[in-house]
Amino acid sequence: MRILIVDDDPFAGAMAEAILDAEGHDCKLVESGVEALDALGEAHEGFDLVISDMHMPLLSGLDLFREMRERGISTAFVLLTGDDPEPLHSQAPEIAACLMKDASLEVTLPAAVAGL
Amino acid sequence: MAAERGNVPIPAAPNKAESFQIRKARLRTSFLSQLPGRLADARRAVAKLRASEIDHAHLDALYILFHTLKGSGATFGFRQISDAAESAEQAVRHAMDSGGRVEAALPAELARLLDDLAALALAAEVQVDPDVTPGFELPGPEPEPTSGHALGARPGQPADRSQRMVYLCDDDPDLAAQLAGQLGCFGYRVRAFTTLADLREAVDAERPSAMILDVVFPEDENAGPKMLAELRAGEEEAIPCIFISCRDDFGGRLQAVRAGGSAYCTKPIKTVELLEFLDRLTSPHPPEPINVLVVDDDRELAQFHATVLEEAGMVAKAVSDPEQVLSLLDTFDADLVLMDMYMPDCSGPELSRILRQMPGHVSLPIIYVSSETDVERQHKALAVGADGFLTKPIEPDRLIAEVGLRAERMRILHSLMVRDGLTGLFNHNAIMQFLEVAVANARRAGTSLCFAMLDVDHFKSVNDTYGHPTGDQVLMALSRTLRLRLRDDDLVGRYGGEEFAVVLNGVGVEQARRILDALRTSFSNVTFFSDGQEFRCTFSVGVAHFPTFDTPDAMTEAADRALYRAKKGGRNRVEIATEQDTLPEPEPEPAPTPESTGTSDGS
Repeated sequence: MRILIVDDDPFAGAMAEAILDAEGHDCKLVESGVEALDALGEAHEGFDLVISDMHMPLLSGLDLFREMRERGISTAFVLLTGDDPEPLHSQAPEIAACLMKDASLEVTLPAAVAGL
Repeated sequence: MAAERGNVPIPAAPNKAESFQIRKARLRTSFLSQLPGRLADARRAVAKLRASEIDHAHLDALYILFHTLKGSGATFGFRQISDAAESAEQAVRHAMDSGGRVEAALPAELARLLDDLAALALAAEVQVDPDVTPGFELPGPEPEPTSGHALGARPGQPADRSQRMVYLCDDDPDLAAQLAGQLGCFGYRVRAFTTLADLREAVDAERPSAMILDVVFPEDENAGPKMLAELRAGEEEAIPCIFISCRDDFGGRLQAVRAGGSAYCTKPIKTVELLEFLDRLTSPHPPEPINVLVVDDDRELAQFHATVLEEAGMVAKAVSDPEQVLSLLDTFDADLVLMDMYMPDCSGPELSRILRQMPGHVSLPIIYVSSETDVERQHKALAVGADGFLTKPIEPDRLIAEVGLRAERMRILHSLMVRDGLTGLFNHNAIMQFLEVAVANARRAGTSLCFAMLDVDHFKSVNDTYGHPTGDQVLMALSRTLRLRLRDDDLVGRYGGEEFAVVLNGVGVEQARRILDALRTSFSNVTFFSDGQEFRCTFSVGVAHFPTFDTPDAMTEAADRALYRAKKGGRNRVEIATEQDTLPEPEPEPAPTPESTGTSDGS
C-alpha cells in the first residue's frame, strides 16, 4: 500500500514509517498538513492511505481530513493522537481509525491498516 | 549530545533494509539525543513567560512542544517521559483555557517539570543502552520537593537530597547520563550538561547546591577548573564543586585545588565515593558533631580542653583515669582521643599501644598533649601509633583546628572503609561489628533487639534475564528503600551478594515483623524498567530476636535458618526464628535444592 504519513514530530513520523515499512508498505513522510495537501494534489503520487497526527501547528489532523474531503480527495484516513482517541473519532466517524499514540502503536497501526 | 537549538532536528535517513527492531532502537536513541535540545527550547520559552500577563504565543509553542513529547515519548515506550510531558501539557492547557493568562505559579511549575523531564531523559538514555543501567521508580512516602531551592535540608536524611539540585558537566554524554542516573537513584536532583557554556547559562539562571565538573574538555585540558575559577570570580558565596577526571596527575589536581575544588574523584567514578563528598558538601551541617575523648591525669586540664572543644560544637568527654578509657570507648563513639603523654599509672604511649592492639581501635586517631619539647622523645612517643603531637600550653584555636581536621579526615576514611561500594550501606564486616556492639548494649541495658536477614527472591534470574546492571539497580533500590524507611538508629548493611542485614535496636519480635512486612510490601510494589520491559521483585526475610538468641553468632545463624524457611515456604515473606532454628538442620534431602540462602544461586 502507498501511504502518506503526516506528523510534525519527525521522530514520531519516522516511527510510524518504520512500523509500516516492516509490513511491506511504501511510505512517504511529510511534516505538515499543507505539505500533505500538496503531495495529495499531485495526481501521480497516488496514495492509498493517509495517516496523520492530530495536533500539528496551523492545520490539525482533523482539519486536514476535512480539507481533503472538501477538495474531493477520498483517500482513506487514519488519525493518530496523544489524547483519548474516542471523543475525537466521534467528531468525525468517517475516519477509518483513530489510534492512541503510545507503545501499542506497533500492533494497533498495522492491524488498522490491514483492516482497511 | 547533538542538541541543536531552536530548530527541530531530524532523525538520520532510514535504512529500510534494517529490521524493524533495529530501526526502532535507533529511533529511540535519536529521539533521546535530541530531547535535551527540545527541553532547552522549552526552558527558553518558559523564561519568557511573565506572571499575570497574557502570552498566547509562548503558551501555544509550549503546548505543541509538550504535546509532541507526550506522544512520541509514549510511542517509543518512555512512559515516564510521556507522563511528565502530559502534566506540563495540561498545565499549559489550563493557562490557555483561562484566556492565555500566565498564573504566577506556572513558570516555576513548568521549570520543575522540565527538570524532571531532563532527569528522566538521562535515565532513559541509560536505559536504552544495554551496557549501562536502567531506571526505576520508588513508590512510597517521599516528600514532594516544594520548590527548586535547597531549603531547610535536614542533615543526614537521604530523602532531603531531593531538594538539593546538583549540576553535572562532562563532555562525555554517556558518562554524564550514567552518573546523573545513579545520583538520581540516591535522591539527588541532577541536571547534566555536556558543554561548559550550557552549564554557565544554567548557573546564571539558578544556582545549584553543588557542581560536579569534568577537568578536561575538548577545548582545554584544564577547562573545568578554569570555568570554576571564572564562576567564583563574580560570586560572594562559592558553589561547592567536585572535580571528576581521568587525569590523576599532579598538574590536574593542582589546577582543581587552585580553582577552589572541594573534592577530586578520578575516573572510573565510584558512585559511593562521589555521594560521600556530595552529601558532605550539600548538607548545611555535618551530620553529627565530632566526638572527642580527652584523657589527662590533670582533671582540670582535661576538663578545660573538653570545654574548649565543646564550645567549638564538638562533643567532648574528659577522663582522668586511663583505666576507664576502654569501657568508655564501648559506649562513647569517639572520633579522636586527645591524650596526655605523661600520666602516672599508664603513660600515653602505653595506653596507645593497648588501643592499637584492639581491632576496633586500630584506626582511632590519637593526639598527644604534652609539655615535651624534645623532638626525639616526641618521635618515640609517636612511633607506637599516634597521629600527632600538641605542645602545652595549647592555644584554644590551634586545639580546635588540629582536632577538627584530623577527626573529619578520619571520618571520611572510615566511612569509605566500612561502606559497600555499590549500595553505600555498611559492608559485611561493619554490620557484623555493629551487631556485636548492639547485642552487648542490649545485654547491658536489658532491652531487646532484632536481627534480620533479607534476600532478594530469584535474583539470579533477574541478572540472567535483564543483565547485571539491572540487577545492580534492584540492589540499589532495595538499599534505598531500607535506608529511607528504617529509623535513624537502625543499622542496614549489605551482607553479601543480594543479601542484606538489618539490626533493629530496641525492637521486639512482633514490631520487627510489622516493620519488615511493611518494607516487603512496599518493595514488591517498586516497578523496574529494563529496555522497555517492566518487572517487579520481592524479598524474603528471616528474623532472630535477642535475648531469645543471646549471642551474635546464634542470632545470625538463627536468622539465616528462618530465611531458609521463608524461601522454602514460597518466598516473599517474613519468618521469625524459633528455638528449633538453633537445632542442626535435618538431614539434607538426597538432591540438594538450589535454595541455599548462603549462596546466590537460584535464591
